[in-house]
Amino acid sequence: MNGANGHIVEATHISRVFPMPAGPVTAVADVTLRIAPGDHIAIRGPSGCGKSTLLHMLGCVETPTSGTLLFTGNDVTKLSDRQRSLLRLRSIGFVFQRFYLLPMLTAAENVELPQSEANVSKAERRGRTKELLEYVGLASRADHRPSELSGGEMQRVAIARALANRPGLLLADEPTGELDRATGEQIAALLDRVNADGTAMVIVTHDPALAERSTRVLSMRDGRIENETASA
Amino acid sequence: MNAMGFAWRSLVRQPARASLGVLGVAAVGALLFDMLLLSQGLVISMRGLLERTGFDVRVTATDAMPGSGPLIQNAFAHTQAIAKLPSVRSAIALRFAHAVVPNDTPRGLYTSFQGVAGTATHPWTILRGRDIGTGAEIVINENAAGQLHVEPGARLTLRAACADEEQALPPVEFTVAGIAQFPFDTPNGTTLATSLDRLADACGGNESGEADIIMVASQETAGPDAAVADVAALFPDLRVLSNAEEVNRFERGGFTYFRQISTVLTTVTLAFAVLLITVLLTVSINQRLGEIAALRALGFSRWRVVADVFCESVLIVGGGGLLSLPLGGMLALGLDQILKRIPGIPAEVHFFVYQPSALQIHVLLLAATSVIAALYPIRIVASLPIAATLRDEVVG
Repeated sequence: MNGANGHIVEATHISRVFPMPAGPVTAVADVTLRIAPGDHIAIRGPSGCGKSTLLHMLGCVETPTSGTLLFTGNDVTKLSDRQRSLLRLRSIGFVFQRFYLLPMLTAAENVELPQSEANVSKAERRGRTKELLEYVGLASRADHRPSELSGGEMQRVAIARALANRPGLLLADEPTGELDRATGEQIAALLDRVNADGTAMVIVTHDPALAERSTRVLSMRDGRIENETASA
Repeated sequence: MNAMGFAWRSLVRQPARASLGVLGVAAVGALLFDMLLLSQGLVISMRGLLERTGFDVRVTATDAMPGSGPLIQNAFAHTQAIAKLPSVRSAIALRFAHAVVPNDTPRGLYTSFQGVAGTATHPWTILRGRDIGTGAEIVINENAAGQLHVEPGARLTLRAACADEEQALPPVEFTVAGIAQFPFDTPNGTTLATSLDRLADACGGNESGEADIIMVASQETAGPDAAVADVAALFPDLRVLSNAEEVNRFERGGFTYFRQISTVLTTVTLAFAVLLITVLLTVSINQRLGEIAALRALGFSRWRVVADVFCESVLIVGGGGLLSLPLGGMLALGLDQILKRIPGIPAEVHFFVYQPSALQIHVLLLAATSVIAALYPIRIVASLPIAATLRDEVVG
């Protein structure tokens, strides 16, 4: 279910200020952004410009210190920690630079975990996990632990995990940051496919090649969106 | 996967650390279990020993322990009078002395020597042969039989040492009627027993009717308290205590040191357990902050990650706690053997005695340990800033 205007995310003049001993630091300043279903957005910018902080706010991990952030019409700042957790669990997928797969679980168990937390039935979990591992091309590696997988394979499992509860929005923070160029290309192609299959996506990246695959590219500097370009 | 299953997998992931934690808790838990057994062990053991004698009221001249204080005068007559009370089933008078029995050593065998008189069965158990009769007969314990190389039917000459150890009494000859087990025998102690009259004879014939203690068995319908009241009313100058009162006296007296030691060591032991588990969990959590932050970002609730940590603590303490029971049991057996080497401790007395309440307290204390030990790691996890942790992990 999306917001009144059909947007998944409606961020209006949001800012994020961190109190620091030396004085407050503004990580994100006055950002207005709409994310619609099927959007493929890349956020670029130099280190420390506020890309990840913006991503975390869009993913309801952090709340803005000012402005309005609606996620599927719900004011994120008014949700409790538990409600935001539930929102993330059911509506948002996260892909991290360092994968963060749980090393004691197999690939299949890692994908099953968010479904288990969302109280999906065992039979349904098994089916969905199998389907997702086939989708990312790792059906044959289902019983392998992360330590037995390559970096690219781990990121593919992480993408499958992020999609486990059929989120409307997938957020990826430097998803190819730990991978070589060829493997990064494979992951980028997989993310394109996820987007093409209907999942809106926001990718934070330093990689111009990855950013160019997006339909909207936001360039950030000093916490602000400097410009937005549309790709083909 | 529920929190317990998740915690289990987290522990199995780091088998060395998990094993260290479980073994640490097992060692600490074994000590804790032993301290709990020790805290009441001597009291329970002494109560059991007193009850096994078949007498539930003790009459002495003063508060001093029998054999170390003044004697009860006219004890034989007193015993007969007590035995006639309606609340009393039977009563016996006991006199404790010593004797030297010639053997193959120059100084002979120095042994305890008891005399008994009264209406009840004697406070010993015949192992071989029979009990003493009216003649010059004696029963001896296994240690004495072994050291004197005698069996029932043998003749035994002894020289009694009664009120005055320096007194040179003439030797007296007895027939060994049987081999007996005495409730208050020490592991290596030797004991001889005869009738109060025969002991008086051996003591030079001057001490007939004196006894260290009169032991009374109350009527089942009346109970020990009624017997205590009746005896105290009959002989107000004597000290009359039920077994329960006697045990309470022990508890307030010398036995209280064991409870105090046990309490101190229990506290120290638990503090170590809490520190051990807290450190292990905290180190483990700190190494997994990125993973935990990622789980939170993926939608795992704060309570869920807290439950994971708590379950890890429960599993470590639970596993160690289970191991601690057999370990503690074996340790208690060994320590009991060592402590029982203290001179004068009856063989039937144990310092470490199992009672269900000790197990219950053990479980409760370990459960509390798992909760307290998990508090700090839980605080770390519960207050983990998700975004900052993910950012720091990447930068780091």
